Amino acid sequence: MHQTDQNLQTEAASPVKPPKVEWTPEVREYVGRAFEAENAIKGISREDTTKKLKEVIGFFAERKQLASVTWSTYPLPQQILRDERASAAAEATMPSPNAVTNPSYAPTQSKKRKSQDPDETPAENSIPPWRKTNNLEDRITFSGGNEKRHKKNVLSPPSKFDPSDLEKRKQRFNLGKPANNKSTPPWGSARNESDSDMNSAPVVGTNDKLEKSYFRLTAPPKAETVRPQAVLEKTLQLLTRKWREEKNYGYICNQFKSLRQDLTVQHIKNAFTVKVYELHARIALEKGDLGEYNQCQTQLKALYSQKLGGNPAEFTAYRILYFVYTCNKTDMNDLLAELTPADKLHPWIKHALDVRSSLALGNYHKFFKLYLDAQNMGSYLMDMFIERERLHALANISRAYVPCLSSVVNSKG
Amino acid sequence: MQEALVEFYTAHASSAAVAVARFLSPIPPSQNPGRLYDFLRTTNEVRVKGDVQYALQSQMRRHMSSDEINAWAEIISCYWRAVDRIVKAEQAENQGRSAERHALDTYDAWKDLTSNFIKYISNGALPHWTVFTLYFTANHLRKFALKADEQIAKAKPVAFSAGFQDDIVSATPRNEKLEEAARVFNRIFALCLGDRNPDWMTSRRWGVYCIANLQFKTYFKLKTISLSKNVVKSIAAQSDLPQFHLYPASHRVTYMYYIGVISFLQEDYPKAEASLTEAWNTCYAYSTRNHELIMSYLIPCRLITEHAVPTKKLLDQFPQLRSLFGDLINSIRKGDLSGFDKALAEGEPEFVKRRIFLTLERSRDIALRNLFRKVFLAAGFEDLKEGQTEKDRIRKSRIPLSHFAAALRMSTAGADSGQVIDDEEVECLLANMIYKGHMKGYVSHEHAMVVLNKKGAFPRTGV
Repeated sequence: MHQTDQNLQTEAASPVKPPKVEWTPEVREYVGRAFEAENAIKGISREDTTKKLKEVIGFFAERKQLASVTWSTYPLPQQILRDERASAAAEATMPSPNAVTNPSYAPTQSKKRKSQDPDETPAENSIPPWRKTNNLEDRITFSGGNEKRHKKNVLSPPSKFDPSDLEKRKQRFNLGKPANNKSTPPWGSARNESDSDMNSAPVVGTNDKLEKSYFRLTAPPKAETVRPQAVLEKTLQLLTRKWREEKNYGYICNQFKSLRQDLTVQHIKNAFTVKVYELHARIALEKGDLGEYNQCQTQLKALYSQKLGGNPAEFTAYRILYFVYTCNKTDMNDLLAELTPADKLHPWIKHALDVRSSLALGNYHKFFKLYLDAQNMGSYLMDMFIERERLHALANISRAYVPCLSSVVNSKG
Repeated sequence: MQEALVEFYTAHASSAAVAVARFLSPIPPSQNPGRLYDFLRTTNEVRVKGDVQYALQSQMRRHMSSDEINAWAEIISCYWRAVDRIVKAEQAENQGRSAERHALDTYDAWKDLTSNFIKYISNGALPHWTVFTLYFTANHLRKFALKADEQIAKAKPVAFSAGFQDDIVSATPRNEKLEEAARVFNRIFALCLGDRNPDWMTSRRWGVYCIANLQFKTYFKLKTISLSKNVVKSIAAQSDLPQFHLYPASHRVTYMYYIGVISFLQEDYPKAEASLTEAWNTCYAYSTRNHELIMSYLIPCRLITEHAVPTKKLLDQFPQLRSLFGDLINSIRKGDLSGFDKALAEGEPEFVKRRIFLTLERSRDIALRNLFRKVFLAAGFEDLKEGQTEKDRIRKSRIPLSHFAAALRMSTAGADSGQVIDDEEVECLLANMIYKGHMKGYVSHEHAMVVLNKKGAFPRTGV
């Protein structure tokens, strides 16, 4: 036994640190325990154990933290291996991408550890390295040396985010966490257990605040933070009033986004949903926020296909005008393919189609006339390309007329 | 099992990709409708791999390397499994049970077959000509994917998002399986294009264009036509492909057709015209359908580039084209605007489907030009001056706006009554004609006159 110890000492230390490493009695004892026959676990070979042991000790030796670890309660290498394998298996049977990013989700590992080390000290240092590496920040800042451990740790996916984003995200988690911990006991949170179910099962909200700032969700939402439809309806009224009074787009957009999010997580899709999206789309149009407008438009298209009411004709007209603006012939063609003969007769859609054809044919006279009687929010959309078309028309006129053109023709634009 | 594989042995011995593909077909031949059932009965799920392996080994040991035997054994077992799913799907359909799962199973089994095929070709176990067999397999995969998507769409009409997205409807694609198939085709394409074999005779690069065509077809179906550009680009980037004219005509015609259509959709009409013309010239003389397809893009294309309308002779030759374009073309010839609008509106669903509507719409300019040209001709000639003969009489080149306005009103009168044309619009349309180069001259707003060039007022129309 002692010999193994010696062996280990030289091998583990040599790649990492120059000779002088003081092996404390605790470490020696820990190593000794690792190789005791009574601690052997079925299915884990001695070689694997040795390897893991080197990794564990090497990890702390590298950071000169050997003394700060309570080796007497530290899990043995074979236990670490067993837990790792168990969690890997659990991961394989339940592929839940979000579980990874959710720190409150601690599978078999933590529980098992509790049963083995009941008197575990809450000190930070007692967190074993494989838990530490799961920490988002560590995953980024640690490099080299323990790459192998990264690979082994099935729980940590390759990080593709830049550190600042991760930091922000981490903070968000920490913000949300305390509330959760208070309300649910750490051992029996049903939500954590059925993490994969959470993805599909709707949440039923319990929050009754009217206003809520928007956060992009990265973990399952909590019922406490989600507002039920009855509240949301009041919210919508409030927002409509505020918009009319204050016209503060930044605020309104934020509120609408969180409103939409609450609808989504509760799987509410009905006339009210349509109303929310329509209103947000109109406000976005008024402010020329094409990004939000397009998001709403996409959603509305799918919602209309469900026949949930609303004003499909109005938004079809907007889509036509939008494609006129982007000059996207392919999409325009697809859109034309979708229109039914009844659609084409609808005054709003017909107006948009006339705008399209007048521009396609260069009939700017007709175009400017159509601009003057644009329907609904259509004029906001047309505003976006009116300048462009006015220039076209001007180029056209200046080519075709003799120089002494009276201002009459010009002014009609 | 031996008996069932006889067809394979002869096909393989002839090195004919098509014959092997026929053996690996998911559709029974018309003279033997029970072929799939018979093949299915030769073995069972558990024994299939062993049976096929044994049969191949005892029969083909002298003709194939052991690698190739293994490869074929795997492929034929996959094929057997796929046949199993196909037969089950058929039975389920006959019993009127839900078809969704079966369609998916069939697709998955066939994808497995395709993937294995790719694997063994890329590791060199199979001879080069099998890429063409693979082409047929891949084409069947495309069809199965279409079927599977159809069933999925039937089963769940709208996919609602299940994750943490902010919005109700997830962005998951509607053609999930076909997109997956498209990725498989991409791998096959890379397999063909990336072949570094210096010997041209046994190169997989001969498959490049036919796989590219398969990809185009899929991308068109997926409405992701822009992805086709990547294929075109990577072919253009390969400098050491065999010369284009050495490829089979069928590959070339289809490829040129797609290049033409893609350029057409990108509004690169000169290139579209060149490619489509080449496809037209190479196309098999008796393939009416292909000729029609090519023409359905070439005609709108020529309307834009040359302002040229197809001859009556051409349209008479292809009744399909005549019914598609006949009225429109006649209206353009006559300068009949209301006729044009009517024909365009009537043909709209079909035009939109073929993505030529927006291009055809632009040819209204030609109809308009023809109308204005008539006004010009009707104005007659200037009085003869001294020394002039009948031959070089000059047409009247100053024409009042009101004449054009009258012509326009006459021409559009028949259309829906809503069309009222005021004088400003007439001016606008005239200005357009001049701006676009259909007419030479200028508009004098003050005198309400159009002054046209004395010579070539309407370019390329003889006056």
